Amino acid sequence: MTDGVSGKIEMNVTARNNVRVRGSGDRAMMFAHGFGCDQNMWRIVEPAFEPDFRTVLFDQVGAGGSDLGAYDKTKYATLGGYADDVVEIGRELGLKDAVFVGHSVSAMIGALAVQKEPGMFGKLVMIGPSAKYINDGDYVGGFGASQIEELLQFLEANHMGWSAQMAPMIMGNADRPELGEELTNSFCRTDPEIAKAFARVTFMSDNRADLPKVDVPTLVLQCSEDVIAPQAAGEFVHRSIPKSQFVLLEATGHCPNLSAPDEVITAMRAFV
Amino acid sequence: MSVPRIDDFEDMFDNAPCGYLVLQPNGRVARINRTMLGWTGYTADQIVGKRFSDILTIAGRIFYEIHIAPLLRMQGFFNEFAIDVLGADGKPLHMIANALEGRDAEGKPLFVRLALIKATDRRLYESQLLQARDAATISLANERATSELREQFIAVLGHDLRNPLASISAGARILGREAKSDREHQVVAMLQSTVMRMAGLIDNVLDFARGRLGGGITLDRNASAPLEPVLHQVIDELRLSSPGRQITEEYSIDVPVDCDRSRIGQLVSNLVGNAVTHGSSSQPVTVNASTEKGVFKLTVCNGGEPIPEEAMTKLFEPFFRGKVRASRQGLGLGLHIASQIAKAHDGTITVSSTARETCFKFVMPLR
Repeated sequence: MTDGVSGKIEMNVTARNNVRVRGSGDRAMMFAHGFGCDQNMWRIVEPAFEPDFRTVLFDQVGAGGSDLGAYDKTKYATLGGYADDVVEIGRELGLKDAVFVGHSVSAMIGALAVQKEPGMFGKLVMIGPSAKYINDGDYVGGFGASQIEELLQFLEANHMGWSAQMAPMIMGNADRPELGEELTNSFCRTDPEIAKAFARVTFMSDNRADLPKVDVPTLVLQCSEDVIAPQAAGEFVHRSIPKSQFVLLEATGHCPNLSAPDEVITAMRAFV
Repeated sequence: MSVPRIDDFEDMFDNAPCGYLVLQPNGRVARINRTMLGWTGYTADQIVGKRFSDILTIAGRIFYEIHIAPLLRMQGFFNEFAIDVLGADGKPLHMIANALEGRDAEGKPLFVRLALIKATDRRLYESQLLQARDAATISLANERATSELREQFIAVLGHDLRNPLASISAGARILGREAKSDREHQVVAMLQSTVMRMAGLIDNVLDFARGRLGGGITLDRNASAPLEPVLHQVIDELRLSSPGRQITEEYSIDVPVDCDRSRIGQLVSNLVGNAVTHGSSSQPVTVNASTEKGVFKLTVCNGGEPIPEEAMTKLFEPFFRGKVRASRQGLGLGLHIASQIAKAHDGTITVSSTARETCFKFVMPLR
């Protein structure tokens, strides 16, 4: 198949994004991981919904088992590029009125996808969202501009430090043989160069203007003491989306889907 | 201060040769050992109960929350990660750490244990290595770009020189037809031989540039057309441009040779041209070609001084020139291109050189 506009051969979407479909049900639920991880981060939450939903897991291009060759600097210079991928996956699977569950930056990717393809997603779950990470006047994003610049410069100058962190060679732990072979497959692998670019896109993003246009019911799950997406940021997201609910979790940190999965599952069940 | 006992676990923790931190499931510090306090300059009161994130740099904080913490939850450990801890003086301490999560019977997290080692020198070394690698990569890319540009220029130049040369050649032919006196014939012959020499130089340059730009020597093989006439013509042309020199030919090509005839002609021309240039003018240059035992063999021999030992290893390298007077010097590409043509035919060129004679032998398999 050729794309008439650019003449490039269209990638097989399922292969490009390492798409996995599980479960069964009338409705579908798509899980989108955020920066720093891959679809493995849903390993506790996703199975809970398999009995009632057709669940869709995928890796953003550059992470996990995605096709690194598909990474295009220009396309992925904005979150819109990632939203295009989401829509392509949804089209490939024929999703209608599905639930989109987005963690961290993927919450905003979901907000964009909802507008790109009305009708594909009927409900949005945002876990630890932030419309903008850098403070702006009265708006509290949690970070000063210089701090984000420090982060991005750290990534530039210390990319081995980061890549040793971001693309870990996770050896089997000889002391814990019960952990098994599976764990040598390094969860949350990501290409260090792509991670740098994704970090820039994420932390310099500003999606405040996109939120009022989200016209589907949205659940905002906010962690207590989340240094990445502080409560003020989550509350802003809730206020900006017309049909939204806000739930403050007892869980702390940025990944409640891993640190407090039961709380997340319960909150989601009540919503979907 | 009391003397430490070998099995004093409290002391083993507190004064370990590394920093130890124990975190609660909510990420807050439960314990910090004396070594770590000493390195960071904090007191226990300042740290216990605070979030571990709070004593990390911004990058470290983000990295911990979105990558280390989730991985710890997923696989229970995370080893050898680099992390910068903020000291009490606000300066970052470069460290390498291992983390291990403790869980209850149901797999719920109970604590995280961290072992941290100072790695200032190592991290500095790593970052210097990286910088050097980055600089080398950029430098290499620049070199490649320049090199490609240069070769493209050569190709264009070579091509552009052909036209004027063709004009001169045509003019020489016209003059040759109208030449009357011996002197005029001599001059025309010299013109033609010079034109041939220039054409050969340009062909070699173009082949070389093409080869370097990745095209390689492409062959247009033909098994049915006879090879002998081509060899004969090439040698005739060389005879014309080397008056007074004897070049003998002996062929026993009994089966068709599946080769690119014009390329083999070029190969022969280069070898014979070399023999004429470097060989003794008082001895003949001999050319023998035959087909036997599944191979095609071609030998070009000349008399004269043997090739010096140190030159033997470099003969087939591009731009290697033997010592001859300037007017007979080529670009040093003839043998290189001949060897490339040989290779393209799955064949080889070998050389032997004694006081008696110097011989270049080309052998290629018959298909």
